[in-house]
Amino acid sequence: MTNSIGEIRDADFLFVIGSNTTEAHPIIAMEMKRAIGSGATLVVADPRSIWLSQLADKHLQLRPGTDVWLLNAMAHVIIGEGLVDQAFIDAHTEGYEAVAEAVRDYTPERAEEVTGIPAEDIIWTARRYATTEKAGIYYTLGITEHSHGTDNVYALANLVLMTGHLGKPSSGMNPLRGQNNVQGANDAGATPIFLPGYQRVDDPEVHAKYEKSWGVPLSPVPGMNLNVMMKAVGKEILGLYVMGEDILLSEPNVSRLEEGMNKIEFLVLQDAFMNETARFADVILPAAIFAEKDGTFTNSERRVQRVRKAVEPPGMARPDWEIVCDLAKAVGHDWKFENTAQVYAEMVRDAPKFAGISHERVDSEGGLQWPCPAPDHPGTKFLHEGGVLRGKGQFQAVQYRPSEELPDHEYTLVLSTGRTLYHYNAATQTRRESGLAAKQPRMFVQIHPWDAKQRGITNGERVEVYSRRGTITADAVVTKEVRRGCIWIPLHFAEARANLLTNDAGDAVTQTAEYKVCAAEVRKIPEQVLSAE
Amino acid sequence: MAGPATGVPSGARIPDLRLRTDLVSGFLRRRDCVVPSCRSMFRSKKRHELPDALREIGGLADGRSKQAAERTGVPEAEAYGVATFYHLLARPDVSLRVCTGLSCRMAGADAVLETAQALGISSEGCSCLAACDVPPAVLAGRRVLPRVTATTLKQAGSVAALGSAEWKGAIGPDPGDAASLALHLAAPPDFSGRAFAAAQQLGADGVIAAIETSGLQGRGGAGFPAHIKWKGVASQAEKVRYVVLNADEGEPGTFKDREVLLRRPDLVLEGMAIAAAAVGASDVYLYLRGEFEIPWGIVEAAIAQFTASGVLGDVRFHMHAGNGAYICGEETALLEALEGKRGMPRLKPPFPTEFGLWGKPTLMHNVETIGCVPAIVLRGGEWFKQLGKTEAGSKLYCISGDVQRPGTYELPLGVCLDELVEAAGGYVGELRAFSPGGASSGFLPASERTRPLDFRALADAGSMLGSAGVVVLNTSADLKRAVFDQLRFFEDESCGQCAPCRIGTRYLREQFIKHQDAPDVRVEALRHAAEVAWEMNEGSICGLGQAAPLPLTSAMQHFPEEFEA
Amino acid sequence: MTDSLELDGKRVSFSAGETLLEVARRHGKEIPTLCHDPRLKPAGACRTCLVEVNGFRRMPPACATRATADMQVTTNSERIQRHRQGLLSLYLTDHPETQPERLSKNQLVEMAERYGAAGDWGSMASERAGRREDRNPYVHFEPDLCILCARCTRYCDEVEAVNAITLAHRGAKTTIATVDQASLMDTSCELCGGCIDVCPTGAMTEKLPLTRQVKPSKHLKVVRSTCNYCGVGCQLDLNVDTSANEGRGKVVRVTSPETGTTTNDGNLCVKGRFAYDFVDHPDRLTVPLIRQPDGSFKEASWEEAIRVAADGLSRVKSRHGADALGFVSSSRCTMEDNYVVQKLSRAAFGTNNCHQCAAT
Repeated sequence: MTNSIGEIRDADFLFVIGSNTTEAHPIIAMEMKRAIGSGATLVVADPRSIWLSQLADKHLQLRPGTDVWLLNAMAHVIIGEGLVDQAFIDAHTEGYEAVAEAVRDYTPERAEEVTGIPAEDIIWTARRYATTEKAGIYYTLGITEHSHGTDNVYALANLVLMTGHLGKPSSGMNPLRGQNNVQGANDAGATPIFLPGYQRVDDPEVHAKYEKSWGVPLSPVPGMNLNVMMKAVGKEILGLYVMGEDILLSEPNVSRLEEGMNKIEFLVLQDAFMNETARFADVILPAAIFAEKDGTFTNSERRVQRVRKAVEPPGMARPDWEIVCDLAKAVGHDWKFENTAQVYAEMVRDAPKFAGISHERVDSEGGLQWPCPAPDHPGTKFLHEGGVLRGKGQFQAVQYRPSEELPDHEYTLVLSTGRTLYHYNAATQTRRESGLAAKQPRMFVQIHPWDAKQRGITNGERVEVYSRRGTITADAVVTKEVRRGCIWIPLHFAEARANLLTNDAGDAVTQTAEYKVCAAEVRKIPEQVLSAE
Repeated sequence: MAGPATGVPSGARIPDLRLRTDLVSGFLRRRDCVVPSCRSMFRSKKRHELPDALREIGGLADGRSKQAAERTGVPEAEAYGVATFYHLLARPDVSLRVCTGLSCRMAGADAVLETAQALGISSEGCSCLAACDVPPAVLAGRRVLPRVTATTLKQAGSVAALGSAEWKGAIGPDPGDAASLALHLAAPPDFSGRAFAAAQQLGADGVIAAIETSGLQGRGGAGFPAHIKWKGVASQAEKVRYVVLNADEGEPGTFKDREVLLRRPDLVLEGMAIAAAAVGASDVYLYLRGEFEIPWGIVEAAIAQFTASGVLGDVRFHMHAGNGAYICGEETALLEALEGKRGMPRLKPPFPTEFGLWGKPTLMHNVETIGCVPAIVLRGGEWFKQLGKTEAGSKLYCISGDVQRPGTYELPLGVCLDELVEAAGGYVGELRAFSPGGASSGFLPASERTRPLDFRALADAGSMLGSAGVVVLNTSADLKRAVFDQLRFFEDESCGQCAPCRIGTRYLREQFIKHQDAPDVRVEALRHAAEVAWEMNEGSICGLGQAAPLPLTSAMQHFPEEFEA
Repeated sequence: MTDSLELDGKRVSFSAGETLLEVARRHGKEIPTLCHDPRLKPAGACRTCLVEVNGFRRMPPACATRATADMQVTTNSERIQRHRQGLLSLYLTDHPETQPERLSKNQLVEMAERYGAAGDWGSMASERAGRREDRNPYVHFEPDLCILCARCTRYCDEVEAVNAITLAHRGAKTTIATVDQASLMDTSCELCGGCIDVCPTGAMTEKLPLTRQVKPSKHLKVVRSTCNYCGVGCQLDLNVDTSANEGRGKVVRVTSPETGTTTNDGNLCVKGRFAYDFVDHPDRLTVPLIRQPDGSFKEASWEEAIRVAADGLSRVKSRHGADALGFVSSSRCTMEDNYVVQKLSRAAFGTNNCHQCAAT
């Protein structure tokens, strides 16, 4: 997020796209509701009538995967009506002309044909966004989990840059992070390209700095990202160390991944619970959970906050960092960390963005937002104040590309997946909570009444959902929450894994998989199968 | 359908009386106000249709709130909260309601209720039906029927057989003289629009100046100078403004507004049109209590007539029916009800002149007050002022109880009880006590019979003129029963929002019963009554809670013999 | 823009938009409140915060009255004291004489004691209806204890905006209800538990699972930590029964820090407030396991398990090179965990094949 969660309540215009905020980020949704309560305008762009759309001034119910059309058409209107912030563009950006050229043909009327959103709503939204000073964009996986996810993000960034909604309170471009420490895991360098603090592994200066600091030779070649790595499992990748993730539930097209896992030579799994991945593990290491260990999480708004040990782990379970240190020691690298404060201190030593942060400061100040380059720096509430970091903001012209797999005569529906309020990711934690399990006990599929009728499906009926990659069973929820021709399933249920169906076609840049669009079909379960169940 | 069955003549063009949603749409940016009127985050443009939707669906029953919620776009729980708030919505299966107000009780309401129950009619007692001049009154569906005694009910045998004829109450003076009466109820309605035309000649400033000269005080109970409200609304920066008619007459002992609507709807509509033009409003809202089915039809027909002739300019009238809640006579509770919510009074300030309907500046007046406006415009403020005896204007007094001819009497403001009763044909029996201005005014002893019945003199006596609903009790009346009835009335009608009223009304009634039932704890039971009354007066949000202890405390003060051990 | 007014005879400044309550509290004045919550629009309904203002015939509620220049405000006087005592005495007549045990304090009872309310005005049985049965797993409503401050219904509307609960009925029968008094499970309720958090009297309280029930009298250790679910980073207080689980301690309850102090502003969602059964779940892995040739797992010591793990990974590296290894770290784990994993990958095994699920 370029801006802070606490700024949302003061926004005057909220553009929420591809984010089911009330379910995936309930507390941020509360801040949005607060803004609405004080009179802010809310526009929700989402194929589903998600809960937040009930509070919205406008709900742009676009066809899945047509975000670029919507966003470019908004840019078309903003440019065409002279609503751009020319001073900001001149002072702080590059590449505006290319975007202006690229969006020339994206008229709201043609966008209406592609997206299904009335042209007048697109125009209204574009005008309001451009002319409201405190206007923020909030998005999440609905934008990124596409084969053209990067294009979506660029198209959003173009809107932000051309209207100058950057470096000001309650504005900016705000991806809402899905996991407690996604931001932190990236910050800490658990990525194939970056060492801690977004320092490229192939930058000679950085490389030299870390070889010196750690006292070992380091590979200057960027590694594989997760999507590539999963596709390489059983081929290039023959040994895996997996900490705290159930890749067999969370990765797309898991049938193919299972094939690869069979060919793997060695797998270490470190987790608090048995999971699907454990079926392939050679060693399982029992880990402590958050209430049993010390450390820090960094949230969506770049705020470093403390995790504190409240209880002892059960049995022989231990904090992950201790286990990892033991593993390193066993292969000859004794790092001699006594506690997590020391680990954090080593991390910030070589990462200038975090240099001013320490456990001690976080303890006394309650939380610190990076960049925080020095011990006396107060932290940074919103980024890009008075300009754009790293020189000029780069416009990126993008053109619409359809999703990789679109419905055809055989698989006539567009399948999207997502989260619900009552479960969390692989639900290893939430399905062990009796109350949540009671509220949402098993897999369901949302289907429009028209599509249900076509297939003779009634509300609550057990049905099969299938794609080219697999089949699962689910309870049919017949609802107008989804568009006609679209279905939606949650990703939480191990016995009906959504990712048996999803497409692992990745985004060209990030390789993030297309969880949000694939072709699928729903059918009734034949009588005899049901009775056998 | 926004109200009861209509009495519109066939062929008349029926105007759209619904609230206008396009005026609601852009409403209320809450950032600007400390105390929001909008109590819900959900932006339904049909919220104000919720009570009507609930009513059309058939009132409260499992599943109906959800239906109404779906129809209007408000949250289900909110629909349930609204449905349970209003008696007529909350208990739709009751087919006969018997008024248990003071005058009706004195005329045998208890026996009517017993008879109804013996006949197997689904029935219950209810708060005052604004028909104290024709007791005992009952409510069949939403229609008030006059003089239904135990005998007539027994003879009829069913609610349907009671009939549903339109009726009017007694008035005086009859025929009277237009030169000395501002409302002149005996005169036929005048749909010529000449007062409106005169007002246009005067211009907004001229009209407001005439109102100021007239000394017109609000006739709903508070006696607030009318011109201050008019100026208040006219001077707001906000250009969208409304005029709202408070026809939620429900103060026990009061029925004058009913009579005005029945006999002179022209005055009310013309008065509102004049007010709207003067304060810059184009939409006026009429809130009639739900039990006013007969007046509703008459007003609706009058609107049709004015709309057809166009003599009131382009003002738009919108009608809204209440659903059984005395508290909605409180102006801000009425606004909440108009917006489709639970009728809970708002905190004041801000006052409606600044922050009224949908947060817009709103001029609100009682039926009688607005009914005085055409005469003031036509004959001048000075003329009106001179009509009064101790304060400005002529005044409608309702009189019921132990008098010869209960009814609505237009007399100079400031007559005393004896003068009023004389107009009503004299006392029945010997005067012991009277309630000068509805339940909220408490009781006064016979010694106050020559005190002017005006706003100031009655306030000086610790009472109030209120809505001028005078109830007379002679020496045979059961005063303690009267006190109990009034206490229970306030308890039944408390909205429940604030503790002093919600708990205090119940506490006083329960302690009063203890006092009645157990002579040995008499003194003990009412030991804290004065302190509770003080706190209710100081701590309650609105006038209901503030006035609620008065029946008890005034009786304890003026009739101590009733409370001795 | 700042202006000034007179507060208990002293000149104090205020900024535009501040309420009398905010000004008074900022200057250390004590004004009791029950229905006030900074997250909510003022309701002025509990009436405890009435103050005297010159020129106001009636005492206005401090929570809902904006400060204006040169106002003369009195926060303590004989009239105010009499009002507080009378009001709180009335509240007590409508409140159970004996309190059920609760994990949180009953603010009404504490306030009544503090301001010397009479406890002998008699007692009336509550006319407030509760829900016939509510199979929801988390929220219990005890209508007897309810004082109708409406914090819960306003929270449900203004903060959570799900409007699952409402004020229903009127007068003494006014209560907190769901639509048709249905179970919260069958309403728009999202089980965030905010109603519990804002309730001043414990009328809304946790239905704790049997495994987490604890006597209210028991001392609980409170540990501030960060929620382990989504990326908002809510701060929460883990309430620990230190003697449970043979002295390992047990998280029995989770509460939100005071509003205004953290990013989540006192709010939590259903997962953050309630979903903690997993901590002590019998499915937890508690012993290192090593795969046997027959496919089964055998329990092992840490030394042995670490050795086998290290050897296994080293073997793949020596056979196929460092880049045949992949390290999947976790966005669910701490910064420190992630730092050491990437360092393990790069420094100990020599590959940059290190990533985690990080699509956003």
